[in-house]
Amino acid sequence: MKINVIKRVLKANDIVAQENREKFKSAGLLAVNIISSPGSGKTTLLEKTIPALGEKKSIVIVGDLETTRDAKRLEPYAYQVTQIQTGMSCHLYANQISESLNDLDIEKTDFLFIENVGNIVCPGEFDLGENAKVVLLSVPEGDDKVAKYPTIFRVADVVLITKIDLLGVLTFDLDRVKNDLAKLNSNVPIIKISSLKSDGMDKWMDWLKEKHNSSIGEQAKFVTE
Amino acid sequence: MHEMSIATELLEIILEIADKNKIDIIEEVHVKSGVLKKIVPDVMDAAFIAVVEGTIAEKAKLTLEEVSAQVRCNKCKISFKPEIDDFLCPVCNKADVEVISGNDMIISSVTGYSKNDIEKGKKDED
Repeated sequence: MKINVIKRVLKANDIVAQENREKFKSAGLLAVNIISSPGSGKTTLLEKTIPALGEKKSIVIVGDLETTRDAKRLEPYAYQVTQIQTGMSCHLYANQISESLNDLDIEKTDFLFIENVGNIVCPGEFDLGENAKVVLLSVPEGDDKVAKYPTIFRVADVVLITKIDLLGVLTFDLDRVKNDLAKLNSNVPIIKISSLKSDGMDKWMDWLKEKHNSSIGEQAKFVTE
Repeated sequence: MHEMSIATELLEIILEIADKNKIDIIEEVHVKSGVLKKIVPDVMDAAFIAVVEGTIAEKAKLTLEEVSAQVRCNKCKISFKPEIDDFLCPVCNKADVEVISGNDMIISSVTGYSKNDIEKGKKDED
């Protein structure tokens, strides 16, 4: 017996992602999915970003295979932090975010940063309901990664070139990165940043604030009234 | 390794289809696999074999049919087939597109039989 069907795989994740999106919208927060290889500087970026947002409150959901180290690093800065230990899974699922939201006070929050598991392959396939995907590429990883891992860079809303203080030390052709990105995602903003030296932080903060305003600006005004 | 996640959900869906259609043994599953999903067939096979163990799909054959990508330029509105590392519109030379096809994994058929079929077959043989 042959049963003909049309059933999309990963639809279950997309349904929960859409529910998350609606929760974020109703809470009036900007949800940002931060994606990169392990060691590209996601946690250090957040250690600098959250204090720079001043009065704005941030919640962080951190995904790692093991340990609560990143959550502990971010606790002094964020309004609330929660760690998801994924075990063998190399990315976060929408339902893990949904479950985490039960313990988080999203109504009082302006920004939700989801620090995904260090991986630039699978996280691109799993919508979490975020407003934007921020993809980091660090100078030590090399300038060939955009062409080697095109999928994640094609769907990025902004690309941060991190650890630019190492540009003079390591060989890294920024034009090569720009050219490869132009073939995949021509309009994506590229921000060069060094979290340690605070270089480029102003442009990154501008991007975040602008995204916050364009995504939930009208709602934020409504809340104020 | 998103193949493992896909295989896990694939199993859930085919078991549900089997249950609804009174299939007791699943023999074959046909999946249309969008090229942009970047599924590695060997890895997908291995993941599928791992998840179906001990289920009614244990001996099922997974057939993947590759679906090519089609995108539409947001500016020029023309459709074209991109390369995996090159989404530039042939008219405006910008990569600002909407994906029309090639980004999905779709189960198109499940083949199997019920125990009644087997018993009926045996009776026919008798």
